[in-house]
Amino acid sequence: MAIDASYLLQLMLNGLALGLLYALIAVGLSLIFGVMEIINFAHGELLMLGAFAMTFALPVMGLLYWPALAAAVVVAMLAGLVIYEILLARLRPDEFERSILITLGLSIILIHTVQYFFTATPRMVDTQYGFAGIEIGSIRLTWTRVIGAAVAIVAFAGLYLTLRFTQFGRSMRAIAQNREAALMVGIRPRTVARNAMILATGLCGLAGAALAPIQLVTPYMGQFLIFKAFALVIIGGLGSIPGAVAAAVALGLLESWIGGFFNAAWQEGAVFVIMIVVLMVRPDGLFKRGGMRVG
Amino acid sequence: MKLATALVAALVLAALPSITSSNYIIGVGISALIFTVAAAALNLVYGFAGLLSFAQLGFWGIGGYAAALTVMTFGGSFWQGILWAALLNGAIALLVGYPMLRTNRHAFVISTLTFALLVTLVARDWVSLTRGPLGIPNLPPPHAFGLRFDTPAKFYWLVWVFTVTTISFLYALCSSRIGRTLVAIKQNEPLTRAQGISPMPYKLAAFALSAAITGAAGGVYCFNLRIIDPTFLDFYYMQTFLIIVIIGGAGSFWAVIASGMALSALPEVLRFSDDLRMIIYGVILVAAMFVMPAGVAGWLHERRLASMRAALR
Amino acid sequence: MTAILSVAGLRKSYAGVHALDGVTFEVEGGSITGLIGPNGSGKSTAIDCISGFQRLDAGTVTLAGSDVTGRPAHRIARAGLMRTFQTVRVYDRLSLADNLAIAAQQFDPATWADEFLRTRRYRQAVEASERRARELVELIGLERYYGAEAGILSYGQKKLVALAAALMPHPKIVVLDEPVAGVNPSRIREIEVALQQLNEAGETFLIVEHNVEFITTLCHRVIVLEQGRKLTEGTAAEIHTDPRVLEAYLGMTPEMVEAEMRGAA
Repeated sequence: MAIDASYLLQLMLNGLALGLLYALIAVGLSLIFGVMEIINFAHGELLMLGAFAMTFALPVMGLLYWPALAAAVVVAMLAGLVIYEILLARLRPDEFERSILITLGLSIILIHTVQYFFTATPRMVDTQYGFAGIEIGSIRLTWTRVIGAAVAIVAFAGLYLTLRFTQFGRSMRAIAQNREAALMVGIRPRTVARNAMILATGLCGLAGAALAPIQLVTPYMGQFLIFKAFALVIIGGLGSIPGAVAAAVALGLLESWIGGFFNAAWQEGAVFVIMIVVLMVRPDGLFKRGGMRVG
Repeated sequence: MKLATALVAALVLAALPSITSSNYIIGVGISALIFTVAAAALNLVYGFAGLLSFAQLGFWGIGGYAAALTVMTFGGSFWQGILWAALLNGAIALLVGYPMLRTNRHAFVISTLTFALLVTLVARDWVSLTRGPLGIPNLPPPHAFGLRFDTPAKFYWLVWVFTVTTISFLYALCSSRIGRTLVAIKQNEPLTRAQGISPMPYKLAAFALSAAITGAAGGVYCFNLRIIDPTFLDFYYMQTFLIIVIIGGAGSFWAVIASGMALSALPEVLRFSDDLRMIIYGVILVAAMFVMPAGVAGWLHERRLASMRAALR
Repeated sequence: MTAILSVAGLRKSYAGVHALDGVTFEVEGGSITGLIGPNGSGKSTAIDCISGFQRLDAGTVTLAGSDVTGRPAHRIARAGLMRTFQTVRVYDRLSLADNLAIAAQQFDPATWADEFLRTRRYRQAVEASERRARELVELIGLERYYGAEAGILSYGQKKLVALAAALMPHPKIVVLDEPVAGVNPSRIREIEVALQQLNEAGETFLIVEHNVEFITTLCHRVIVLEQGRKLTEGTAAEIHTDPRVLEAYLGMTPEMVEAEMRGAA
């Protein structure tokens, strides 16, 4: 196979689209960790819920992409709200191990409930765009990928502006930096944590909905992705949002290139190998942890 | 007292194949013993040293594959296979454990988890070694001194000896000063450092020993199944070990052993649907974390403490 | 007498703020030395740096003639410096007996193998440690709690346990970080007496404390820090009348103090 520039570019664009979707997941994890100091193990299952919502919303909406996407995001956000109110609101910020085990239990429940009702058969999702795409020279990208990437970029811009300029964003950063001080100036941690959870699950649902037309939808799809996202937030530095984004995009590109030239096994394993190496060199991740930085 | 109870329980368990001729019940007994060993090993790292390690699943898988490959590919015996499973795991645990333990406790949990996933990927994708999803079937029954452990009852006795040996070893360790030091490190690491104790060798030793024992247990278990394939690394096993430790009470040696024997029967009772069984597991896990986060042992302990406080007042 | 602990030119800064800016002092063997200063003067940073819990930017720490600068905390402890913490630290879920035994275990010759196999060497070490523990528990007056979990003790009692734990391995020097802060005033006197007894038996103490009265009744020598520097050093009586100390502590000149006292009279 001749390695030409357009093949490389094709790999790069695919990788970028993939990386941006990884970033949506990883950012949510970082956000939750920053505000609550817990890891949401069930984050991948929220993505799966988003994807399933998309598969059911699309036929109802007559295969229209955008309304279905919106519906999926709302479903994920509602799930996030319910999970927060029922389970996570009872946790104190230092109960890290407990949070993992509770959300692990939740993840098991969600996966198997979905599997029980909808079986494990992978689902293909069709949209109004079908397999149509744009072609520039010999490079071809399906619309669903282009839109997925664009949606992710818009979401990041929105997240950045929210964290930077809104009252809610400022309270989140304040809590992530110094919980006691934030409490003293009257920030209500419960409200902020709930909002952060909804925001994070919304991003995750968005990723799931955007992935649905690109990948096969199964009850286990979240698990594979979330393990990667875990590794990504470690590489980027727990709680660091730019770190998570940078690591995610880099991983997407790397995986795409590795997949283009080597055995698929390397593609899947790359992230874990990188993580172990990063931990050896810099135990706190590449972007050192310390409050929630947005820029 | 506890020791005497354990001894009696062990002897009763030894007699199981003489009491029943049902291969089904003996099979449940085999699983229960092996899962209890793996849970006790998890209790050493999580309950005693306070390290929530998901790498146990990876070690369980590596142990299984190491034992199976020793016999099927490298022509060794079952016993060599188990030995290799333990040694290989100990070595890997030392190697990956050091960078993982240097990080904070948050990163530790996640990196152990990704380690387990990496092992799954290797099992599935390194086809030339593991035969990928096809797995390695037809593992021969172990034999020693001209005796073949080819019926469930015979295999049960082999597993019984394995379990009693490893549990005795773990008990000797956990009840020694080393076990107490691990608890101290879990409770207040800066204080142990101020008292001249370097936490790293203790944590690393606990991690590696637990890995070796989990690996050996995995090795024995795959010879019970007679086949090993990537489903051997199903997250279900990790969940089972975790639930045993949590319900029993992390950090309470005998409570975890007892809960291992009791809860291993649970999957058998809940045979009606795999999905429903997993949902019940999940519900148990979540409920336990809210109702009694320190397990049955922790709950009993709290009650004892409360009465002590009342008496002192 | 010779210096058991001597520190020279300690420097430590956080994000450009000098927490320690060239601190030098010595603690003589067999003495009780006080380290005082207003909030933010660098007392806590100083003992954290000395005991290896924080990394120094510059300076040297010498313990009984050997240089321990930059060593990790557990090595400095093994070299003979035991410390307590400002917010009391004990192992809540372990018994008082275990709390004390753990503090000494690094200092006896039993190895992991001895511990695992319960060899003679291990049993002897355990016996010796238990004798010492009983002695100290009697000294702090908590005999009836010897087998009880440390978690049930009051805050003041835990401070005493932490003190006893620090004394377990017969250290060369004991550094106490605010031993009476948060302790019921009626018990402070007991701690004073205990420390005096121990000192007469030959123990050396370096005490960081806010309670000036406690320091002046107990200490042979007092070092005063202000804004990361040593302001002055002397006997308790000298410190008590030093105008610079009054100013640093109260923000008043001696004239103002005098005027105020006249006003009160």
